[in-house]
Amino acid sequence: MEVKIEKTGEDLTVKFIGRLDTAASQEVAPQMNALKGETSGNIILDFSQMTYISSSGLRIILTIRKDATANGGRVVVRGMNDGIRSVFMMTGFLNLFEIE
Amino acid sequence: MKHLQLHNDIRQIPLLARFIETISREEKLDENLTMTLNLALEEAVANVMLYAYPKGTDGLVDIDAVIGRRALRFIVTDCGKAFDPTSTPEADTLSPAENRQVGGLGIHLVRTIMDEVRYERRDGKNILTMIKNI
Repeated sequence: MEVKIEKTGEDLTVKFIGRLDTAASQEVAPQMNALKGETSGNIILDFSQMTYISSSGLRIILTIRKDATANGGRVVVRGMNDGIRSVFMMTGFLNLFEIE
Repeated sequence: MKHLQLHNDIRQIPLLARFIETISREEKLDENLTMTLNLALEEAVANVMLYAYPKGTDGLVDIDAVIGRRALRFIVTDCGKAFDPTSTPEADTLSPAENRQVGGLGIHLVRTIMDEVRYERRDGKNILTMIKNI
């Protein structure tokens, strides 16, 4: 799993490339924690090159969502594939995010 | 029957994905079923890797797959402390984000994906059987 972070103005785009499984989540989590308070703008989670997500990955993005809301920003999830969409559906995550 | 043995090292999770992908290829399972089986197995196995054994001690987790004509049966076995994942309360999938609890999603996914989930404690082992009808 590779994560690319880009800042455009106040907005932050976080692009996930590959599988966000339990092993990858443990590596990515500290990097995501460091984002906390990085922006008061919106956060775009770019899933267009994410192929898989497990519950550990869901926990990471829920934390991002909670932190962003606390800072007054929105979180948008962009480009998820059908498999990830079905995981979002099974866990009630579809209702938590703006999906593009 | 197919068998995979892993250590309680979360970095071995990709080996589990390869194991499921091999079964999927041989049984010609579709992409969505492969992904969901992979997910359910990962949740069950990661739980063992992270919590069954005391921190810093080596432990094993065994995964058996029994391929039937109408069902796939997966059995996850470990020798760690007794834990029945089927007895945990239902995860919260309805609350708004601010109130949403982050725990319990793994076993929720296992229950949602599989048609039957059974736990037993036998000879000092946790044995979790997960059945998916095909």
